[in-house]
Amino acid sequence: MINHIVFIFIFLLGFYAILVKKSLIKMVIGLNIMEGAIFYWFIAITDRGGIIPIVQSTQVAFNLNDPIPQALILTGIVIGASTSAFLLTLIIELNKFTDSTNPDQLGGIIED
Amino acid sequence: MNNILIYLVIVPLATAFLIPFVDIFSNKARKILVGFSALLEFSIGIYIIISNYGEITEHTFFLKYYLGNWIPPIGITLSMDMLSLFFSTLISVSLLFIITYSIGFIGHHEGKYYVLLFLIWAAMHGIVLTGDIFNLDVFLELMLITSAPLVAFKRNRNGTEAAIKYMFFGAIGGLFIFIGVILVYFNLGTLNFADIAQSFSLLPLFSKKMIIIFFLIGIFIKLGIFPFHFWLSKAHSACPSSISALLSGVIVKVYIYVFIRLFFNVFGFDILRETGLDIIIIVIALTSSILGHVLALSENDIKRMLAYSTVANLGIIVAVLTLNTKLAILAGLLHVMAHLLMKVSLFTATGYLLQFTPSHKLQDLKGVAYKNIILFAGFTLTAAGMIGLPPMIGFASKWHILQAFLDRSFHWGSIIVILGTIIAFFYYIKYIIYGFKTISIGPPERFRLILSVFYRERVVTNIAILFAIAVVVVGVFFKLSYGPIEGAANAVMNPSIYIESILGG
Amino acid sequence: MSRIKHISIVIILAFLGLIMLLDLNKIPNQFEYANSIYHHITNNAVGETGSLNFVTAILYDYRAYDSMGESTIIFGAVSGIVLLLSRKTLPVSSHGLSFIVKRTYGMLTPFIFLFSVYIIAHGHLSPGGGFQGGVILGAISIIFSIVYGSEFDYKRYTPTTKTLLETSGALLFIGIGLIGIIYSGSFLSNLNILNSEPGSLLSAGSIPFINLGIGFKIGAGLAIIFYSMIQKTFKEEASL
Repeated sequence: MINHIVFIFIFLLGFYAILVKKSLIKMVIGLNIMEGAIFYWFIAITDRGGIIPIVQSTQVAFNLNDPIPQALILTGIVIGASTSAFLLTLIIELNKFTDSTNPDQLGGIIED
Repeated sequence: MNNILIYLVIVPLATAFLIPFVDIFSNKARKILVGFSALLEFSIGIYIIISNYGEITEHTFFLKYYLGNWIPPIGITLSMDMLSLFFSTLISVSLLFIITYSIGFIGHHEGKYYVLLFLIWAAMHGIVLTGDIFNLDVFLELMLITSAPLVAFKRNRNGTEAAIKYMFFGAIGGLFIFIGVILVYFNLGTLNFADIAQSFSLLPLFSKKMIIIFFLIGIFIKLGIFPFHFWLSKAHSACPSSISALLSGVIVKVYIYVFIRLFFNVFGFDILRETGLDIIIIVIALTSSILGHVLALSENDIKRMLAYSTVANLGIIVAVLTLNTKLAILAGLLHVMAHLLMKVSLFTATGYLLQFTPSHKLQDLKGVAYKNIILFAGFTLTAAGMIGLPPMIGFASKWHILQAFLDRSFHWGSIIVILGTIIAFFYYIKYIIYGFKTISIGPPERFRLILSVFYRERVVTNIAILFAIAVVVVGVFFKLSYGPIEGAANAVMNPSIYIESILGG
Repeated sequence: MSRIKHISIVIILAFLGLIMLLDLNKIPNQFEYANSIYHHITNNAVGETGSLNFVTAILYDYRAYDSMGESTIIFGAVSGIVLLLSRKTLPVSSHGLSFIVKRTYGMLTPFIFLFSVYIIAHGHLSPGGGFQGGVILGAISIIFSIVYGSEFDYKRYTPTTKTLLETSGALLFIGIGLIGIIYSGSFLSNLNILNSEPGSLLSAGSIPFINLGIGFKIGAGLAIIFYSMIQKTFKEEASL
């Protein structure tokens, strides 16, 4: 329950930033907040209350947490990092043409 | 197990990794590498078709591949059934010709351009072949992130804005798909397509509904269906024409593939019908279609007009696929092929014509036909196909779509298809008339080369004419393509074949 | 006007959140999957892959193909960024910080490098791996340019060197995968050569080597991204 509330709150906070903020860089940050919310939520809901999925020796340990979400999230983090890096590059490039990072000056991100 | 499947992904990927390496030493070696790899990748596709010809004609073709020798639910499985084969062939053919076209079309930053093009190729084959839902997400993101730099390839303000929009909406769509993947894993504990398909129907209804809705929103954002159509026209028109052809012709078809694979094979169509979502999808898609046609009519810029026409046609394809009868899926797949050929043809021809005009505006296109009359004739024929006139492939696919709508007695759909055809006629004829208008003032100095990048005219014109010929020839002999498309439609309609082929033995 | 817009957006988002919450709340807290891959992996991963770190076992063995796609995403982003921000000459952005900082960092650099190599090499034994270690490798280059000025780093590690490192890392990954085809008939299958007892450095088959390739690739890639970006911004500052 609390996981879902926190997830939805942070997720929509990021979405709010994308909708409202008047700077493209802040919108990228909003995108990252949304991603962070998803990653947090995935880890939180698949928590089994076990130990970290690294064993000390070859004998099988019991009650491990699920390692698959962690692997997927590592992949997701890398994807998110590359996405933001490339978006920031585009913003640098746009700043060269317009001297501003305001999305409204581009005719808005929503309106064509 | 057959190793040939993995080479479809590895060859373009290795080429993309090798190009910067080779580029340090020699430009010429890079060009040879690009041509060689494109041909190699193409011939792998041909080899698959030839070596399995018997099974393909009997529609029992199925290849699978366990990566790292891990059996299905544990590792990642690649598979190729008739549907994948259909899309893979389309991708290989169009990419080969788009790369050839680019050789004549792109004159600067060629190294990085081909790196990105080959990465897109690898990503598309990765999507088409994969049997794993998270792997699908990874390759979708790969395709997004490698196509966005090409949208901004012209390095002007317009292109950069378009790329920012493309990237933002693509990334948000990707997040929705990622949430969907998380919900699938959380509910089922597996990521394999066949495994999901087997146990998906046992889930409670609200879980199914939630998963479906997240995937649907993600795919619709990436496809540019109605509420999210606004980014598409700008992204598809701000880039060089070779990339416009790629984005508008091929990449959207890959998203269509994802739509078909997920909603017909993995989640099963029953869930859409149970929740009544199929009617909603049809309504949204038809709205998208009519809106695309109207926006295209109001547009004064040839590339944006073509981009809006893509919105319209995607709407039709999604709507007709969602009817979920055998005829409808056949019509949808036929239109996928038709639209791919015609859009690539139109954009390649436009790319050539626009080299001689000061801008993309309709008024500046006046008299452009006389620059290369054969190519413009090809453009006219393809436009006629886009409208849906008989000898071209567009007629065959539109005819089937109409039949599919009437078959399900969904009359609104057929009315919208016919209405769209009428609107399309008006916006294409406008450009054709302007193209043939003689210019009263001035000798041909008016047509000067705007860009210096355009240096191998013959390659460019030949490819554009080749596609126009393909549109006509395939249109005349479209009955020949019935066999494979019917096989693909069979694969779509019978998800149990897919499940059994992957999980059993 | 903008106030009304804000308020309406907040109300719509709150409404959306409520709907999502009501839906998500119906999900049970914990599932016991019948045919889950979780059980298979937690029971057999050490025996099957030789890696004590289960996350690494998944990333570089069970789902190594995903990792290949993911490192390709970094490669694609680097290519795109270089394409957009590429330029010929390099302006000298700064001459670095004071002598004390330079000396201190000079002494620290080998240890940072050692740490990153440790993280990469022990990816299958402890938390870490190619991505994490590669980020530290990339950070070395970034700190170089801050402490010594961008010219120093440019001369020490030219873009050509970085490109070579990046592509060779990527080719190492694919190469290991292709050796897998020859060795055991499947792409990216674990090569059980050079194996000793699980828990020692050279265990877990090809996982450490894939880690190494990824580490160099990510490190060089991040350094290239950083360099492309600062060159652009510094040029603009100089023109002001």
